[in-house]
Amino acid sequence: MNRRDLGKLAAAAGLMGLAPMRWAHAQTRAESLRVLSEAGPNSFDPIGVGVNRSAIQAHWNTYDRLLSFGTQTRPDGTLTFDYYKIEGELAERYEVTDDGKTITLHLRPDATFHDGSPVTAEDVKWSLDRVVNTPVGKSQFSTGSMTSADQFTVVDARTIRITVPRADRFTLPNLAGTYPVIFNSKLAKEHATAADPWAAEWLKTNVAGGGPFKLDTHTPGQSLTLSRFDAWKNGALPGFRRVLWQMVPNAQTRRTSLERGDADIAQDLPPQDAVSMAQEGKVKVVGVPMSGAFQFIGMNNTKAPFDNVKVRQAIAYALPYQQMFDAALFKRGQPLFGGKPNEADGTQFPQPLGYDTDLGKAKALLTEAGFPVGFETTFSFELSLATVAEPVSLLVQESLAKIGIRVTINKVPGGQLGTLLQNKEVPFFFEGSAAYFADPDYFFRIFYNGPTRWNFGSYANPEFQALVEKTRFESDRAAYEADVTRMINLAKQEVPIILLWQPALDTGMQKSVEGYKYLFHRMLELRSLKRA
Amino acid sequence: MGFLVGRLLGLVPTLAGVVVVTFVLTHLLPGDPAVFFANSVTADAATIAAVRQKLGLDLPLWQQFFVYVGQLAHGDLGQSISTGQPVAADLLQRLPASLELTLVAFAIAIAVALPLGIAAALRPGSLLDHVCRVLSTAGVSLPTFVSGLLLIYLLYYLLGWAPEPIGRIDPFAIMPPRITGLLLIDTLLAGDTEGFGMAARQIVLPAVTMALFALAPLARMTRAAMLGVLSSEFIRTARANGLRRRTIIVSYALRNALLPIVTTLGMIFSNMLGANVLVERVFAWPGVGSYALDSLISLDYAPVQGFMLVMAGIFVLVNFVIDLLYAVIDPRTGLLTHA
Repeated sequence: MNRRDLGKLAAAAGLMGLAPMRWAHAQTRAESLRVLSEAGPNSFDPIGVGVNRSAIQAHWNTYDRLLSFGTQTRPDGTLTFDYYKIEGELAERYEVTDDGKTITLHLRPDATFHDGSPVTAEDVKWSLDRVVNTPVGKSQFSTGSMTSADQFTVVDARTIRITVPRADRFTLPNLAGTYPVIFNSKLAKEHATAADPWAAEWLKTNVAGGGPFKLDTHTPGQSLTLSRFDAWKNGALPGFRRVLWQMVPNAQTRRTSLERGDADIAQDLPPQDAVSMAQEGKVKVVGVPMSGAFQFIGMNNTKAPFDNVKVRQAIAYALPYQQMFDAALFKRGQPLFGGKPNEADGTQFPQPLGYDTDLGKAKALLTEAGFPVGFETTFSFELSLATVAEPVSLLVQESLAKIGIRVTINKVPGGQLGTLLQNKEVPFFFEGSAAYFADPDYFFRIFYNGPTRWNFGSYANPEFQALVEKTRFESDRAAYEADVTRMINLAKQEVPIILLWQPALDTGMQKSVEGYKYLFHRMLELRSLKRA
Repeated sequence: MGFLVGRLLGLVPTLAGVVVVTFVLTHLLPGDPAVFFANSVTADAATIAAVRQKLGLDLPLWQQFFVYVGQLAHGDLGQSISTGQPVAADLLQRLPASLELTLVAFAIAIAVALPLGIAAALRPGSLLDHVCRVLSTAGVSLPTFVSGLLLIYLLYYLLGWAPEPIGRIDPFAIMPPRITGLLLIDTLLAGDTEGFGMAARQIVLPAVTMALFALAPLARMTRAAMLGVLSSEFIRTARANGLRRRTIIVSYALRNALLPIVTTLGMIFSNMLGANVLVERVFAWPGVGSYALDSLISLDYAPVQGFMLVMAGIFVLVNFVIDLLYAVIDPRTGLLTHA
């Protein structure tokens, strides 16, 4: 007797009658989508203190942006965004002047907000002003040379002009990013106060937008229901009329519910579950290496012994990459080890750093560096990353012991590694991060440069710093590529941090769900999904 | 009456102490919330400073304390950053969920553990005694997330008898008007038997999982206490006098064995209410335990303080009730003589 027969038996015995009418059996199933994710949004406002990643999934689908990234298809058939192709969304078209200093955006004439009022250039201006008037928003927008409200001018009711002091490759990508959602300014202003001129309090818990979905209900930490905005004009109408998004902290529970057929999409699958679900084949598992995201071994380049480049190289040769990739990540991702050593392989970054496990070379480098008998150090990781970091740290410890480096593992409680990194207190650690924009100089500017904690190696090579500065506004393609090549060479030769891999974003879904698209912010885009 | 008033007055300094301790403890945590919440990769030192100022963390600690006490005086527990809601609203939403689950699990645990412990004590070394021992050992040694996942796998995934183990009620069910916050009671008050059925089915698996855990100490304590009492002289006398077996066990033995059992009950109840993070996670149960843990991990002070304060209040209250129960169960404690 198989499981199905048992089900029939149970039904015959009247047991099925006891089960509540599940979503799976609801009549509207074809037009409804049920999504399970680990956590829920803590705000509907993209800009604010401590806004979490799940918040993106809420505002990405309920608001519009002026521009959006294009779509391309990965070799395995999965849709993904195209960073280098920027299309109109709320703005049906845009023009950039030849000097690159003025961008004129033309709004779609028939676009409205959820309450039916038309989207005007005033709304756009208010929304962009809001970004540069909040600290977190301003620090992001300044990466695209937008720092002041004077730069946004209303030309007429449907046209807005953005001026930047000099041509900047990052202005358009910033407009397609997660921050500049277009608010219904009239509605938002009704809730603004003297102390809170940008209605931050109200917008945290309310949606005043015109995106493809409307927010119906929200029970914080439990569930969220969205319904399609049928008058949406900025793209093809979404395939689902209703979306129920529930928060299920436990990955096994999400998986069980998906495999039973009660849920349509389970987000944030741990690597080992993604592997076994894909093998069992009951549901689809889409794994896309997260572009711009990376996990790495960090070393504080300003502290002995990691200030010695030979020590860093020795460690880079001593790490058991393949074992770590197999045991910690179950091969769900894109390796950043191996590859071409010492020299750039193309101008994309992150790219494999060119190091393979070679204990002989590691030992020789360590002796050259003046540590023939090795040294002692501590290796830290944050417990929130334990599923991957724990096996990594054990393998690092074991392998480094072979060249005489004695490693003590230090497990840092959740939320605290950031502070330690900010104060540059940890010598040697595992961590991950991500940059939204694909330009290599953007990556280097954040992660290989400057005083912030994101410069994980505290790397301070004057030549590198000069190149980071120089490439910021470089408009000559050849000069830019030459500079980036030099930076990649330095990143490979001086290994301020040892890149390990780009982990995959694993999402499980019913075979009937189509149109999944991977986006730079790693959250779901609901509008492209449909049921076959 | 004097006893009651005295006890209640005694709660005031306890709670005042809790306010100070929760504040100091949370602020002693390593980790800088301003750094944590300025979590965008483009955030620089200026952004962190702005965030710190916005959170009020740039003030000296004693000023922050007075701000906190001032808020408390207005009944304001502060704002949770990680959920984006006022802490009081969060707790009001989540505490009934935990309470409901705990009460049901507690009832199941008592209904199973007490008879089992008594039976085991009456026939030490018998099959029942061994069952009791195996069950308590398994209950203690099986982590709740393992037993929870096993139950889900068996009853939901394989057999399909249990509803989907997510949340308190079917997400499309119409919620009853909120009166107590306990769905089982609110649905009944609203006369919604269908809703009651849904909520009841939804609570069975998590409650059984929790009960399995609570069962162990309770059954063991019952067995030990009963064994002690059953071998005492007044039971021998009662038996010699030919009293009915039922009277001996229930009226004489059990009543005398109840004191340690009630103490254990009180401890288990408070523990179940606040510390059942794993069950809450596995069953996506929106309770206070996972709320407090999530807040702690994200260096979110206000909810942690609010949670500690509320839990301390509940602990104190439970202890108070237990004290009263002592007095009822055993007049020799003398607690009621002043009443």
